[in-house]
Amino acid sequence: MSATSKFDVSDGWGAATRRFPRKAKPEAGTAPVTAKGVEEMIARISLADRQAFSRLYDCTSSKLLGVCLRVLKNRAAAEDALQETYMKVWRYAGNYQSGGISPMTWLITIARNTSIDKLRATRDTDDLADVEGTLAAPGLTPEQAVIADGEAKRIAVCLGQLDDPRDKAVRGAYLEGRSYAELAETLDVPLNTVRTWLRRSLISLKECMTK
Amino acid sequence: MSTMTADHPDDRSLLAAEYVLRLLQPSEERAFEQRLLTERPLLAEVAEWTTRLSGLDDEVAGASPRRRVKTALEARLFGAKKSTSIASRIWLWQGLSAASIAMVGLLAFEVVKTPQASLTDVQRGPLYVSEVAATDLSLRLLAVYDAGARELSITRTAGSAADGRALELWAIAEGSAPVSLGVLPDAPKAGITVPEDMHAQITGLTLAISDEPMGGSTTGAPTGAVLATGQVTDL
Repeated sequence: MSATSKFDVSDGWGAATRRFPRKAKPEAGTAPVTAKGVEEMIARISLADRQAFSRLYDCTSSKLLGVCLRVLKNRAAAEDALQETYMKVWRYAGNYQSGGISPMTWLITIARNTSIDKLRATRDTDDLADVEGTLAAPGLTPEQAVIADGEAKRIAVCLGQLDDPRDKAVRGAYLEGRSYAELAETLDVPLNTVRTWLRRSLISLKECMTK
Repeated sequence: MSTMTADHPDDRSLLAAEYVLRLLQPSEERAFEQRLLTERPLLAEVAEWTTRLSGLDDEVAGASPRRRVKTALEARLFGAKKSTSIASRIWLWQGLSAASIAMVGLLAFEVVKTPQASLTDVQRGPLYVSEVAATDLSLRLLAVYDAGARELSITRTAGSAADGRALELWAIAEGSAPVSLGVLPDAPKAGITVPEDMHAQITGLTLAISDEPMGGSTTGAPTGAVLATGQVTDL
């Protein structure tokens, strides 16, 4: 291996102003991928593998942008959140460990939280970074993380068994990042009512899903 | 949350659900995250609720981002298409440093407090600091640059050269080739002279440590693996 290959001196350091050459590539977000595949890409990204990062983006960005759009309702803002999401993925890939949550869920959680933070703009990014680190870092054992994917799929059925406004409250909070106050306004009920509804819904949901 | 006692399992589960749904107030979120650091069962609840609710992700329709989003993202992360592996590691370092910047400041203070002959007879100038660390922290070095003394004080807090190998410190100015600052001594603390022409661009300088043969690289450029990197910032 030549002396320069590690550092690639010929290309110059931090040449941030250089433009990428355009090259034809498949439409982003269309490639089908398994959980195992996503997990492997995250593992490679933690070793600073840019090709893996590029592949992960191609496989997952469509879904993640969808998540950002549900919360932010604005394409430009959602694409900003998407960029921030992948920057965090690049930084914190080493913190992801399988066993806790599925790799796709990990990515979606980061996208959702980033979007909600953007929406609320109340927390600085350093705090947020801690959150993403915390969620995956301590390595839950499979026994501790007992929710199987199949079980998670039952949520739609279980939500369907709730009375309509309660169903809306859970969906509104999860999919659109609504706060209690916003939910109260949307559903036109007092804040405490919404809180009570939502907590009851969550208890019913857990019972229904663990049946 | 004031109406809930934190210890009852049902309440713990609900609190975790509210956390996952982002229904807690910012102050409550912070308090909850503090607990997450030490309370395993709480963390398990968070993971459970995260997965439980993830079934709703199926209801989210995908939307392809415009191509320029990826281009901009890679430019932000990597600078240039064919840039180096070290540049990408700088990002990892920045991730580390964001979380541990207070720690760096503290360590730097320790170093500065340590009496050093070179600092006593020269008027002290602005201080710059860099944490040069491997991503897994197996090798970690704190560098403090005193603009008055024009000297880099280094303190190695973790790691050492492999048997029969040496650790060599490099300074890289933006757009330039790495310049050797010498082989790291075995002693954890050392003072290193910085080449004259680097003084003006000390901020933004990247420091890197590479694995080299005993005595250091003979080619003038790094030959072995880059083990750790860090960027110099104002203290």
